[in-house]
Amino acid sequence: MTLVKEAPVRPAGKRSAAPAPGRHGRRRENLAGYLFMSPWIAGFLLLTAGPMIASLYYAFTSYNLFTPPQWVGLDNFTTMFQDPRWQKSVEVTLKYVVVATPLKLLLALGVALLLAQKRRGQALYRAAFYMPSLIGASVSVGFVWRALFSDDAVVDRTQKVFGLDVGGWIGNPDYVLYALVALSIWQFGAPMVIFLAGLKQVPRELYEAAEVDGAGPFRRFWNITLPMISPVLFFNVLLESIHAFQVFGSAYVVSDTRCGPADATLVYTCYLYQKGFKEAQMGFASAMAWTLVIAVALVTAVLFWSQKKWVHYEEAAK
Amino acid sequence: MPKNGNVERRTILKAAGASAVALGLAATAGCGGDSGAGDGNVTLRYAWWGGEPRTIAIKKTIALFEKKYPKIKIKPEFTDYAAFWEKFQTQASGGNPPDVFQNAVGFLRKYDKRGVLMDLKTQADAGNLSLEDFRNGVLANGQVDGKQIGIPVGANTMALVIDLKAFEKAGVEAKFGWTWDEYFDALQTIQDKLKIAGDTGYFTIMYLYDLYLRQNGKAFFTDTDLGFTEDDLTLWWEDGYKRVKSGLVADPKKIEQVAPKSGLSAGLAASEFTWDNFSIRYEGEGESDYGLAPIPTTDGKDTGQYLGSLMLSAFSGTKHPKEVAQFIDFMVHDPEVGKIMGYDRGILATTEQYAAFKPTDPNNKGVSAYEDEVAKAGVLGKITPHPSGADVIEAAFLRIGGEIAQGKTKPADGAKALFGEAKAAFAG
Amino acid sequence: MSSQVTTVATPVVRPATERRRIGSLAWHVGALLVLAVVLYPVIWVLGASFKPSKDIIASLDLLPTKPVWANFSGLADGISGISITSFFTNSLMYAGLAVVGVVISSSLTAYAFAKIRFAGRNLLFTLMIGTLLLPYHVLLIPQYVLFRNLGYIDTLVPLVAGKFLATEAFFVFLMVQFMRGLPRELDEAAKLDGCGHLRTYWSIVLPLSRPAIITSAIFTFINAWNDFMGPLIYLNTPSKYTVSLGLMMFRDQEGISNYGSMIAMSLVALVPVVAFFMAFQRYLIDGMATSGLK
Repeated sequence: MTLVKEAPVRPAGKRSAAPAPGRHGRRRENLAGYLFMSPWIAGFLLLTAGPMIASLYYAFTSYNLFTPPQWVGLDNFTTMFQDPRWQKSVEVTLKYVVVATPLKLLLALGVALLLAQKRRGQALYRAAFYMPSLIGASVSVGFVWRALFSDDAVVDRTQKVFGLDVGGWIGNPDYVLYALVALSIWQFGAPMVIFLAGLKQVPRELYEAAEVDGAGPFRRFWNITLPMISPVLFFNVLLESIHAFQVFGSAYVVSDTRCGPADATLVYTCYLYQKGFKEAQMGFASAMAWTLVIAVALVTAVLFWSQKKWVHYEEAAK
Repeated sequence: MPKNGNVERRTILKAAGASAVALGLAATAGCGGDSGAGDGNVTLRYAWWGGEPRTIAIKKTIALFEKKYPKIKIKPEFTDYAAFWEKFQTQASGGNPPDVFQNAVGFLRKYDKRGVLMDLKTQADAGNLSLEDFRNGVLANGQVDGKQIGIPVGANTMALVIDLKAFEKAGVEAKFGWTWDEYFDALQTIQDKLKIAGDTGYFTIMYLYDLYLRQNGKAFFTDTDLGFTEDDLTLWWEDGYKRVKSGLVADPKKIEQVAPKSGLSAGLAASEFTWDNFSIRYEGEGESDYGLAPIPTTDGKDTGQYLGSLMLSAFSGTKHPKEVAQFIDFMVHDPEVGKIMGYDRGILATTEQYAAFKPTDPNNKGVSAYEDEVAKAGVLGKITPHPSGADVIEAAFLRIGGEIAQGKTKPADGAKALFGEAKAAFAG
Repeated sequence: MSSQVTTVATPVVRPATERRRIGSLAWHVGALLVLAVVLYPVIWVLGASFKPSKDIIASLDLLPTKPVWANFSGLADGISGISITSFFTNSLMYAGLAVVGVVISSSLTAYAFAKIRFAGRNLLFTLMIGTLLLPYHVLLIPQYVLFRNLGYIDTLVPLVAGKFLATEAFFVFLMVQFMRGLPRELDEAAKLDGCGHLRTYWSIVLPLSRPAIITSAIFTFINAWNDFMGPLIYLNTPSKYTVSLGLMMFRDQEGISNYGSMIAMSLVALVPVVAFFMAFQRYLIDGMATSGLK
């Protein structure tokens, strides 16, 4: 299975669809190409590249929007690294990413395996499991979640049955983040659908051959399913982690806009929002943004590098 | 001849160019701009924060105003307190804040520093706005460095709201001039007899700590800095945390959860410190009866209270200063407006409005009586406009206080953190 | 003697079917359990919107014992003079514009990547994929400053401008992969017939890319409908608020005294998203499976 990395490579056989030979044809192709690309190019320059450069500049300034940015060099970064609330936001976000992502993907894979078998009502189950992903990011669900994890609500009462009383997750700084984690896991439907697509692509012959060889269900999973869906797994891990780093809406709504209590749900984006839009410290907020970009880039690089170790593409398997 | 012709053509071209530019600007100006050309109609943007009752009331007063001044249209923008100031900040930074807006003493210096607020004295001198007939000297609340940058619409003071039924059942009474020790003893009795907490978290409220400091010869803010020491604050927060642990102050986890509802209305405690004009909300929110009680004192007499106020301010760069002044004048002086608003934004600040509104419901009556008592006792102090950054410090105080209540931060560390954040806020 | 033989014979004849039936039962039980947990919040909000405000958190019953309409009729009053319909109209406009923008600009861009060999294509493609992995925070503030300087604060422009300029790399990518999967003979034949790229795009590739386009449309609609941060930053006037901001305003203005109506509005806010999805969901799964990751 080819994936993101392979995409830019000239796919075999494209050459036969080459346009009219000669410089004339090529120029026409270039013109056509750039005409079609003009919205994207405008968008890229105006809304992506331009802002990126601007925010990089802001990161080295003190900018409260009223007066023009004033150059402060590395001050924002040194202040930031020593800021206890910044450190807390990093800690909260890392905790969230590291706990929610694997659990969410495990559940997604597990349910996908279940749904991959042909059973009655499969399509219905699939749609039902997918629904949380549709509405999970909404303010509505944020309210509902806050209600469900409060003292004496369903989660708390269920816990009490097992003798565990934390007085409701929402008000408890040690537990409230896990309410957010639960919200993230609840939306397992999106990665599940992608896993399903991947599972469908696994050739049946491989399984049949393995059964003939006497391999049990676990060995079949470990030696066939997992390697064959590893590109899909990679895709999911990459995308889900990157999204998890950027969580904001759910933290904001579930914590009743304060990202607490005691900064327990102060995810990175929430702190960035507070610094930038509440306290008008746009320079500091830009420094935070770039730090996040570098962190995510590192994580992405590590994931891509690790591909070699565990992701099998069809060409390699052959 | 040809020269005239050229001039004419040039003028026409200039006019055409100017109108094209104006059209272009108008097209890109979003909906924030106000019309004003030609037809004499003026649109003013008016922004405020508050809950639904306030919004409904203000809209009624706007209708009254538009009837009296048919050529002035008001475009309302309203939201809650926190969002209001975020939006205001970003709008003002873009040179596009509302023409007239609600304001509070904590923000005067901040926006005066940035030149956003209009000195309304000039409009008063021009006869568009009257600065007479303000009660109890509250006009001074809107003055910074000799400029009148805010016109009070209502006067309020920090107060103690109590659950009347709880106090009665426990057999304790709130007396004017009672001391902090007496207050906490009363709460202890309530906790022992009724098994509920006494207070919802007094030590996280900056304005209450301000009163306590004033009782002891200090104040939260000086003109430019904090008016107390880290040790002072550490002690205040240490005492607070001790009371949380003993249950005298309600469990912060539970308080957090019922938000945005108040812990008092939820029955988690028997008293709460807040602005006196907020006391009206408890009746609708909670099951019991609620009333205002005197602030505890240190020496048996001085509560440290002062009259703060909500006010109206104008944007220094508004295109319609005269109309804005007329609007503010109407809003603070017109008796009908006073009748409609009641004490929602504090006790009405002008004598005309105060006389026009006779509270009939127990809540408003209570607020009025409370302030009368406070004024009579002669305890009202003068207020200094808070230094720029006061709003950020208030939020930090609440947040750090909350962390201490949850046991997540030690009081001494919390005090250090507050001072650090204050330093940054003053500089910003 | 004979009876013993018969009783021994019966179990040997049908073990496979028994096992299959038990397996099927176990599967259904497991799936239903997961379903119950997954759908609990949805059912909860459905039930809660019919309970009186006081009972919503207090009572643990999923469905109200005595359903009330009060929460919904309270919605009709609007919030502080703004009707609920204005929130829905604003959200609809935002989502609608977003869908139009994404479909047009992403399909044009995808066609270029998939079907036109132009200089620098690989570089631009890599750049585009890069934007997929870029956190938006680094664009947030400068974009805000840009739109503020252009005077577009408090309009929908900042929210939808990017959609018309193909900044949603995910959908471009989706469509590129899909279009690459289309048989080449089609556009070769079109070229022989003298069709330029525009005609090929419009008459051949676009219609065939319907699953990918519908998938993109669905997701764009849902994301726009649920979008909270964008409207929070750019919209100031309450009459322009989208549903997500309207809900927050409800919480501010009335959430305390009218908790029931807040829950009712939460429910109503979810309906369009779910309905939209139900209507188009079969295209979704096909679209993702085919174009997904080949």
